[in-house]
Amino acid sequence: MIELRAVDLDIAGRRLLGGIDAGVARGEFVAVLGPNGAGKTTLLRAIAGLYAASSGAILLNGSPVGELTAPERARAIGFVTGDEVLLDALRVRDVVATGRFSHHRWWQWREADSDEAAIARALEAVQLERFADRLFATLSSGERQRVWIALGLAQETPVLLLDEPTSHLDVRVAHDILALLRHLTQSSLIPKTVICALHDINEAAAYADRIALVAKGRMLAFASPDAVLASDVLEGAYGIAMERVRLADGRLRVFAREETNGIGERPNPKPSG
Amino acid sequence: MIALPLRLGLLALTALAAAGLSLLIGGTHLAPRELWEALSDPRGSGVLHTIVWQLRLPRVCIAATVGASLALCGAMLQGLLRNPLVDPYLTGVSAAAAAAIAIATLAGVAAGALTAIGFAAGLGAAALVAVLARRGGGIDTNRLILAGVSLSTLFAAIVTLAIVRAQSNDYAPAIVAWLAGSMAGRGWHDLAVAAPYAATGALIALWAVPALNALRVGEMRARTVGVDVDRAQWAILAGSSLLAASSVVLAGLVGFIGLIVPHIARRVVGSDARWMLPACALAGAALCMLADAVCRWIVAPAELPIGVLLALIGVPAFLYLYLHPASPLAAGRQE
Repeated sequence: MIELRAVDLDIAGRRLLGGIDAGVARGEFVAVLGPNGAGKTTLLRAIAGLYAASSGAILLNGSPVGELTAPERARAIGFVTGDEVLLDALRVRDVVATGRFSHHRWWQWREADSDEAAIARALEAVQLERFADRLFATLSSGERQRVWIALGLAQETPVLLLDEPTSHLDVRVAHDILALLRHLTQSSLIPKTVICALHDINEAAAYADRIALVAKGRMLAFASPDAVLASDVLEGAYGIAMERVRLADGRLRVFAREETNGIGERPNPKPSG
Repeated sequence: MIALPLRLGLLALTALAAAGLSLLIGGTHLAPRELWEALSDPRGSGVLHTIVWQLRLPRVCIAATVGASLALCGAMLQGLLRNPLVDPYLTGVSAAAAAAIAIATLAGVAAGALTAIGFAAGLGAAALVAVLARRGGGIDTNRLILAGVSLSTLFAAIVTLAIVRAQSNDYAPAIVAWLAGSMAGRGWHDLAVAAPYAATGALIALWAVPALNALRVGEMRARTVGVDVDRAQWAILAGSSLLAASSVVLAGLVGFIGLIVPHIARRVVGSDARWMLPACALAGAALCMLADAVCRWIVAPAELPIGVLLALIGVPAFLYLYLHPASPLAAGRQE
């Protein structure tokens, strides 16, 4: 479904991604892990067609993403990004309705029934039905995050990319959202392909089919959680010693070992005295 | 809570009332019946007929075009740049037109040619600003603002220089009058020249409605939902430049409308461009027609420059309405 072949991406003379090879199948849930500045967001934006690869190819169902028109791309790939300041007094529903842009020609100003249904489904999926008429500016950061996810869902695309969708969310909502994304990939009708940049290694371990581990713009590993969450692989990416525990039910948990940062020193030595 | 179509209808009625009032007011007193008789007989003759058809009606149409153009232009640019402080003259249109007209006046160019010179200079400046602000296939909004403000300052300096030079001859008052903004002496011919450009700008505004709505959630997000942001930027810039240049050649520099009317329209019908742009056009036209009528009437038979009147009365009135907690405009305000 999505294929990256030897993708390099340079912006302003700096290499942000180098030699990325990956293939994601329909209905797969892929988590992208990596330290800050590793290139997770850049990778997602490249797949979304927002950045053009400097070399190599990014293919969606066999055709280059860069060759799709903006509306074609938006009907194929939804992209949920972080918070942004809105100047206008928009209501939650108005924001989510923006996701329907690519389903209209420019002269079609009225919402169709299918738009209303898609917006309602998206709001319901993130449990924001009651917030539809609330002003966006009055929401908490977690609620805003859910609005952005609803906007991506309202696009009704076969592929959904999410850039740290669980930041700002409390534990329960974060797991609800990940379970929802997981559910979307398993739908019997049109299984969605979900690629999701995450910070929490254990969230990735719990929900993803495969994990792409990125550091310094390179793909260090792209395999099952079991394989990627090996301590040495993670230590290579994050530069901190990791400890891996398997719970009684078989689930994996990974913890950072505070004593060292991988080169034998404390990360933040406390001042003495 | 009044439904949106009704609010738009009320604005349309206000614009109609403003047009009627503007037709009645002027150096010669007209009774409503006389006005109606003159209007209902386009081929008539006589002094009243001439006043209505050759003086007031073109003037009212010009005021409506100028007001609607400036308000639409301001709304488009504010939406594109996501900046509520942007006004139609940001892209250097007015400053360049002013500089060109000032220089042409000094050089003794015939008054009839000034309109075309100002129009061309205005569009040229907008194109230059757009080229300076180019980044990749689109436009960097911050660079656009910087380039527009810088070039406007440069052109303003040229205007000042021209006025200083003009003080030794008789041209200074003509330049200053133009800068103050006025529709005095304008007629059907001027409207026929400018209206097609203004109409093209308005059509581009209609085309841009869905993109402007999507841009409300941010440029990056607008791209992800399928807006060809680069194309929208160029189109909106072209449309707003046409609108600004048309109004500049029709009325000189008329401030306040392009900056403030979009804010008023947002208060009345919200920020949805489907409602906001028509509301802008109606409110801008109404305000400009009313202001022009007052300009003709208040110191008759002389005229007050409309730009001056709008700033002197409009700004305090708007600030009061905007900031006073009990005012209807303040009710929908989002802090």
